Amino acid sequence: MRLLLIEDDLQAAEYLVKGLRESGYSVEHSPDGRDGLDKSSRGQYDVIVADRQLPYVDGLAIITALRERSDRTPVLILSALGTVDDRVHGLKAGGDDYLTKPFAFAELLARIEALNRRGAAASETTRLKIADLELDLLARRVTRSGRNIELTTKEFQLLEYLVRHAGQTVTRTMLLEGVWNLHFDPQTNITDVHMSRLRNAIDKGFPKPLIHTVRGAGYVLKE
Amino acid sequence: MTDAPPRMRLSSARLAGLFVVIFAAAITLVLTAVYVLTARVLDREVDSVIRSEVTHLVDDYSTGGLLQLVATLRRRADSWDRTGAVYLLIEPNGYPIAGNLAHWPYEFDTYGSWIEFEIDASEAGGVVSHPVRAQVFMLPGGRRLLVGTDILERHKLASRLRTAMLWGAGSSVLLATVFGLTYSRRIRRRVRAFASTCESIMAGDLSRRLPVEKSHDEFDELGSAVNRMLETIELQTDMLRTTFDSAAHDLRGPLYRARVRIEESLQHDGLSDDARGTMEATLAELERVQRTLGTLLQIAQAEGRGRDVPTEPVDLAALARELVDLYRPEAATRDITLEYSGAEASTTRGNSQLLAQVLVNLIENAIKYVSPGGRIEVSVAMEPDAIVLQVADNGPGIPAADRPRILQPFVRLERDREQVGSGLGLSLVVAVMRLHRGSIELLDNNPGLIARCRLPLVPGEK
Repeated sequence: MRLLLIEDDLQAAEYLVKGLRESGYSVEHSPDGRDGLDKSSRGQYDVIVADRQLPYVDGLAIITALRERSDRTPVLILSALGTVDDRVHGLKAGGDDYLTKPFAFAELLARIEALNRRGAAASETTRLKIADLELDLLARRVTRSGRNIELTTKEFQLLEYLVRHAGQTVTRTMLLEGVWNLHFDPQTNITDVHMSRLRNAIDKGFPKPLIHTVRGAGYVLKE
Repeated sequence: MTDAPPRMRLSSARLAGLFVVIFAAAITLVLTAVYVLTARVLDREVDSVIRSEVTHLVDDYSTGGLLQLVATLRRRADSWDRTGAVYLLIEPNGYPIAGNLAHWPYEFDTYGSWIEFEIDASEAGGVVSHPVRAQVFMLPGGRRLLVGTDILERHKLASRLRTAMLWGAGSSVLLATVFGLTYSRRIRRRVRAFASTCESIMAGDLSRRLPVEKSHDEFDELGSAVNRMLETIELQTDMLRTTFDSAAHDLRGPLYRARVRIEESLQHDGLSDDARGTMEATLAELERVQRTLGTLLQIAQAEGRGRDVPTEPVDLAALARELVDLYRPEAATRDITLEYSGAEASTTRGNSQLLAQVLVNLIENAIKYVSPGGRIEVSVAMEPDAIVLQVADNGPGIPAADRPRILQPFVRLERDREQVGSGLGLSLVVAVMRLHRGSIELLDNNPGLIARCRLPLVPGEK
């Protein structure tokens, strides 16, 4: 998988590139907006990670240029400002996700992964299935091994999010954004309680658990 | 704050009204005096003419006797048409001897005094009634002499004078009223302009200035002085903000690199458990610093650059219900009841993320301080012009003396030293409320704390 990182903080970029390569990505780095625009228009990348504020050409301008050429490559915007309106501007310009600096590396990894797989999972389905777990999105019904499982509306949304990202690490902030539409970090790890309730409902009484904790990052739903 | 404008209107209008009344009184006094004096001068003139005439005729009588007097009166028979003079000499029995008056005006039986009566004279336009003023003189032997003059012209003059004065007084008062109203409206307009500018400045737009016109009046003087003050404040605030922004930016760079670096190192195997533990603890500390910095930046943004924050219609009741659902399990693990009550829906315009942050901060605060078995109630209520959002608990509360202080950044109660927290949560609430032109107050729940936020309803968003 090919990744373009456009980041002008050279020292940070060095570590990010190293970490991403160790995670199995093939990474190219652009130190400024002009180079980033150039590389993004020539190369074929699966995901582009672009800083919002760059020398010469702004991160948002790069996205705008991409979208004008109908290039749908998912873009993750990194911002040092971390303000509410910045996120809105970033997404309006055609960015696909948004991360505030400084961030946990695991968070970056999880979001890149999610963006990379998004194209495939976006199809309109009414039924989701992983292992012996089945979700009927229209009837809002969940069964495991044919057994009916009662869930609240929020628990269902939470499970749906996990199933749609099956096999990927999902961070707590991704859950807050995706399920509760909260784009800030509360002080308490509020998602943990909900996750443990969902676990009780889904995994209790079954030999193989589906929901797993990823240390220092979040959760993953997999066989 | 909301009842200031009507009071202001009253005071300037009252001033204008008072001004008009005083002016009208003065004008009336002056014109009345002029009228009375003029009328008296005219009266005196008429009287002195009549008096000298009487003297003249009485002289005739005493030198030439009745015959001489009658001759003189006959000579003057046509005097009515020439000078408007009236004469009549009668016998004691009332029989007229001489004069140009047909009969004695019997309605006046007082002698020797001044009388006024009317006579009808035929003129080109028909019969006209003329007022006449006359003196009656008793001659020896019971004969009476009446000498008078037509005072129609004098009456006309007086009436014309009255009309002119009434018109003068009326138009002066009208002019004064118009001027007074205009002036009071002008004052009101300028005070309103000042007030609305001040409101925008208080809402965070420090670049606004009071409107100064070129009239060089007291308002301009006041406006210029306040504007100079605002200039200084804005300069200092900008300096502070720039310093803060660059400090925050400078801090974020190393923080970002330190984090990335530690995390990258943590990915390697072969680290001792000790080293791993230290690095993870350091990461957690960095996260705390980052969180504090992030909150400070958010406060600064809400306080300073409010205009740039995007807004949309936000249903506060739905938001509160959703967040109560989110936090209820967390509260339950501490044996705390968290409930929502109040409006089904209440929509206003605002930034949903910042308003959610307000609710989250208040709920998290309550969960942090309420003891097991306690209760937290979140409610949203509609008022005619505001939405009241409230988080009430039965925890330890905040002493009344500490309540205003606790809203400031980094202020924490002595008893809460042990608790984790930055002391910025409530400051962010204050900043977000100010951004939304709302307010927050802390009240006693006997026992416990009520944090009550009031958001103005934006017209059209009901």
